[in-house]
Amino acid sequence: MSRRTTIGGGLLVASGLLLASLPALGFETVASAISSTSGPAAAAKDGYSETKTLTRVFDNEGQPLVVDERRVTVKVNRTQELRGRERIRVSWTGAHPSAARAANPFGEGGLAQEYPVVILQCRGLDDPDLPAAKRLSPDTCWTSTRMQRSQSVVPRVAIWQQDLHATAEDKQRQSGMRPWPSGEQCVDITSFATRLTPFRAANGTVYPACSAETMPPEAAVGAAFPPAEVAAFSDAKGAGEVKYEVRSNVENESLGCSDKVPCSLVVIPIMGLSCVDGADARECRQHGRFPAGSSNFANEGVDAAVSPVYWWARSNWRNRFSVPLTFALPPDACDVLDPRPPVGFYGSELLAQASLQWAPAYCLNKKRFKFQHSRMSDKAAFKLMENGEAVAAFVSGERERSGDDRVGYAPTGVSGFAVGYIVDRPENAGEFTDLRLTPRLLAKLLTQSYPASALGVGHKGMKGNPLSINLDPEFQALNPGLDTISREAAATVLSLSESSDVISTLTAYLAEDPEAMAFVDGTPDPWGMRVNPTYRGIDLPTDDWPLLDTYVPDVDQECLKANPAPYLGQVAAPVNTLRAIAEAVLDAWPNVQTRCDRPTPTDPWKLGRIDRQGMGARMMLGIVSLGDAERFGLRTARLQATGPAKPQSRFTAAGRVFTGPDPVSLAHAVRLAEQDETYEPFTISQTALRRKAKAYPGTMIVYTAARLSGMAKADARTVAEFIRIATTEGQRRGFGNGQLPGGYLPLSRTGATGPLLRSANQVAAAVLEQKAPADQDDDPSDDPSNGNGPGGDDDPDDPPFPDPSDPDEPSDAPSDDDVPSGSPSASPSAPDSAEAEPAPGSTPALGSTWAGRLLPILISVGLVASVVAGLARAFSRGGDH
Amino acid sequence: MFSSIFTMVAICSLWFVAQMLFLGGLAQERSQDLLYAEYREQLAAATAPIEPGTDPGRPVALLSIPDIGLHQVVVEGTASGDLLAGPGHRRDSVLPGQAGASVVYGRASTYGAPFAELADLTAGDRIDVVSGQGSTTYTVRGVRRAGDPLPQVLEPEEGGLTLVSGERAGWWSALSPGEVLYVDAVTRKPFPSAGSPPGEALPESEKAFAIDQGALPTLVLCLAALIALTLGVIAARQRWSTALVWVIASPIAVALSWMSTDVVMRLLPNLM
Repeated sequence: MSRRTTIGGGLLVASGLLLASLPALGFETVASAISSTSGPAAAAKDGYSETKTLTRVFDNEGQPLVVDERRVTVKVNRTQELRGRERIRVSWTGAHPSAARAANPFGEGGLAQEYPVVILQCRGLDDPDLPAAKRLSPDTCWTSTRMQRSQSVVPRVAIWQQDLHATAEDKQRQSGMRPWPSGEQCVDITSFATRLTPFRAANGTVYPACSAETMPPEAAVGAAFPPAEVAAFSDAKGAGEVKYEVRSNVENESLGCSDKVPCSLVVIPIMGLSCVDGADARECRQHGRFPAGSSNFANEGVDAAVSPVYWWARSNWRNRFSVPLTFALPPDACDVLDPRPPVGFYGSELLAQASLQWAPAYCLNKKRFKFQHSRMSDKAAFKLMENGEAVAAFVSGERERSGDDRVGYAPTGVSGFAVGYIVDRPENAGEFTDLRLTPRLLAKLLTQSYPASALGVGHKGMKGNPLSINLDPEFQALNPGLDTISREAAATVLSLSESSDVISTLTAYLAEDPEAMAFVDGTPDPWGMRVNPTYRGIDLPTDDWPLLDTYVPDVDQECLKANPAPYLGQVAAPVNTLRAIAEAVLDAWPNVQTRCDRPTPTDPWKLGRIDRQGMGARMMLGIVSLGDAERFGLRTARLQATGPAKPQSRFTAAGRVFTGPDPVSLAHAVRLAEQDETYEPFTISQTALRRKAKAYPGTMIVYTAARLSGMAKADARTVAEFIRIATTEGQRRGFGNGQLPGGYLPLSRTGATGPLLRSANQVAAAVLEQKAPADQDDDPSDDPSNGNGPGGDDDPDDPPFPDPSDPDEPSDAPSDDDVPSGSPSASPSAPDSAEAEPAPGSTPALGSTWAGRLLPILISVGLVASVVAGLARAFSRGGDH
Repeated sequence: MFSSIFTMVAICSLWFVAQMLFLGGLAQERSQDLLYAEYREQLAAATAPIEPGTDPGRPVALLSIPDIGLHQVVVEGTASGDLLAGPGHRRDSVLPGQAGASVVYGRASTYGAPFAELADLTAGDRIDVVSGQGSTTYTVRGVRRAGDPLPQVLEPEEGGLTLVSGERAGWWSALSPGEVLYVDAVTRKPFPSAGSPPGEALPESEKAFAIDQGALPTLVLCLAALIALTLGVIAARQRWSTALVWVIASPIAVALSWMSTDVVMRLLPNLM
């Protein structure tokens, strides 16, 4: 129990100052290190392409004989500023055609194939000039099982020893690791030849990788993330393509790739081992048992010499393509690097991927404030902003005001939602790439009208409905060639559990479609499928999709008896973030909560999430944001943009146009946006969208909503600064700090987004001014054309600011070049806020004069009284005398 | 006569100051020793509280902040009287170490001043909490004063710990903790909270800078006892020698003044 009662010593103050300055110094160096590394990295060209000539050589009595030679070109679309779980596209041509295709090429599932292309993520760079610790080697390449690393076989098939390029050390009975691990760690069978490819973790630990126990923790069975390394298939021409999910040190600490630790993608087209001469080399000289293009569902044995098992053998390893990767700052970089209190912007998750890249551009720049985007439902965020508990909110539509202060909406990002999916074609034919959905199909999924399994068949009013969407003739007509196995996951679309503008836009899209509405209101579809009666006539649009079904199946199963729950609600099981949906689709792991499980037979039964779907039979859909879909490389469905004006009695695909999300279709949708009044949001009406076949129906504009009066000066400056930066620097495409990632349509002065940018500038100016008269939104004198076209800048109500909507005055307009990064007037500085009254949304001033003054007063009174008493005594004594 | 009055005033004031700054510290250290022993025993027996509803004044957690050399037992309750023994856990928040927001009040200048150096903390400093569920390490997010932005909202899986004390401000800064000071810390690995804390049940007297008026009756009794002692001393002086009387009366006088000051402390703002 140590305790200090030191009060206000000068020494203490000095040491406190010293202590306080230490972290500040550290921050400087870290920040400058980052800016110096990210500068050239951001400038470096993204993407990778390289061509190499690979050969397979057999040694015949000292004469090298080239048995196979191929010119292989490998291309990677993104290599810079990657983030954890991002998927990059790796494609190649000229490789050996693959054979014995496995259903699941990831991790150990891909081992029993012939001539695949092995793709791995490895720590380090392939540069012979680097010190050994920073160079990549098979020891730093991640695999999720030990079978992909280490082999212990009878000497006859120890083909790595027959490798033409094998060193003397490789040819020993035990090779790959010095010193050899102890017998307790790795059981050694003396009659076997053993080759270890240990894994060297980022923290220096070396895992011998001879058994599941001696693998890094992230490789445990049932690890949080499925394997990413893949033995991919090349077609008959030797071309192929995969989306490779990269992992940062957040997902895989042992691998440890980060903004400070460079990593590489290693692509090894398996050519077959080059072999030495001699009778022992027979196994090494095999050419494969399976014909090119064949499948190997039964997981039969393959010829080891052409399998991906020996990717680390010398002749395979020397055929590698090493693609250097750089990683972006981790998501929590700002919390770590910037001790200042963040300014919270609350609201729409649609901006999440953009804010992830924007935040470091604020917190690493001391002249700016520390920006932080906290996800929250649009409704709640708007409330917070109105109450003054948050400076601004991200919303994507107009909200009813409850306060008196006028609110301005500055367009900040054009994005939207999509129906992300992962669907496999039957017979191991790969992924389905062009899913088309009508509003009615979405309505069927959302209203829980598919009974999902035998358990839901007893539901009243849904007799005869197909069990899941892939059995629905409407779906089959639009998406032919898929399997007809019913699955619970295919009876639903994973959606949001909380209020969101995404749900209002989605349901407005349904509400505008006559077929979907007829279905919801009770008319059966052309095949007689009926809506779930609990959702019949539900009011659309809504911003919060309710779970209405209460049907509890009456079956004699112990588990279901113990956990009575509405079955279709368990199948739908919405989650509260779009990111969670995106990751579920990425992992093909539906959130269906119908798995009965108990740890031991004596424990009570519990319902839980079903397993990940197996490769080759995946089918799930989810509502995702375009930003997430782009980041994770999710496939997105094309939605019906225009369709029949009346419900048809016979379904035809003719006359329907399906449009997917891309910059062009988003721009077409934005062209339809209309603004009623200055500072108000734009609306993209679904009625207009339905008339425009090229416009994507899921397009949404995200606004920064802030009050135009009644805000503290410092806050107003912060918000105005944010809007200006976000709409200029923040609209440049790229993956670096402060730039706009994929999935968003950049705002530009010209083109479809011009009016949006002009409106954003107007709102920024009005927010800075804080002079908008309260409750003026019904004022008819406001010129409605003001935000929509050039020339509408004569409105007397406009704040006295250079109106950027006028194209004739480009010099006055805040252009891309004068981003207020350094402008002191636009940055909220701490000294200023001292004179301003405490901002709303800030710590309330609590205090007590008593607590503040009591001790000094007591001490003064005590001292004065003792002096007076002493004097009085002396005086009276003097008087006595 | 005149000088006696001033002598009395001086003695009262300076005794009060002395007790607040020094003697109170001794008392607090003693309380902490006892609380530590009690809490250690509870931890060993796994009976340490893990849900709301502990009696005020009983230990609920161990709090240590290596950077400022703080090591204290946190008691339940934040009334002025509870904080005499050590930092107090605000009863309408979750216990320290649990998921959700936990709030701990502590004195800044008096009675050991456990939270005297709170303002020296910087983002990234470590706060260790040992509670009935195990030990938790918090990372300081920052120091917050009136007017600073509110901290970011906690993620559902995070646990927050806010230390609240008086800030030494204004003239004679070391002795005038008149402004509120918050230190926000957060942990990624909190323990699940075992029960929701009582909602609006927090009495006025347990809020920041609140006073506990329930101490008035006790104060009256203490003062009456002091008067009785005075009368007793006067009466005794008639019969026995001055030295004898003071030998007997002094310990009683000190004890009574000590007690009265403790009661007066309950009538003063709790964070000072």
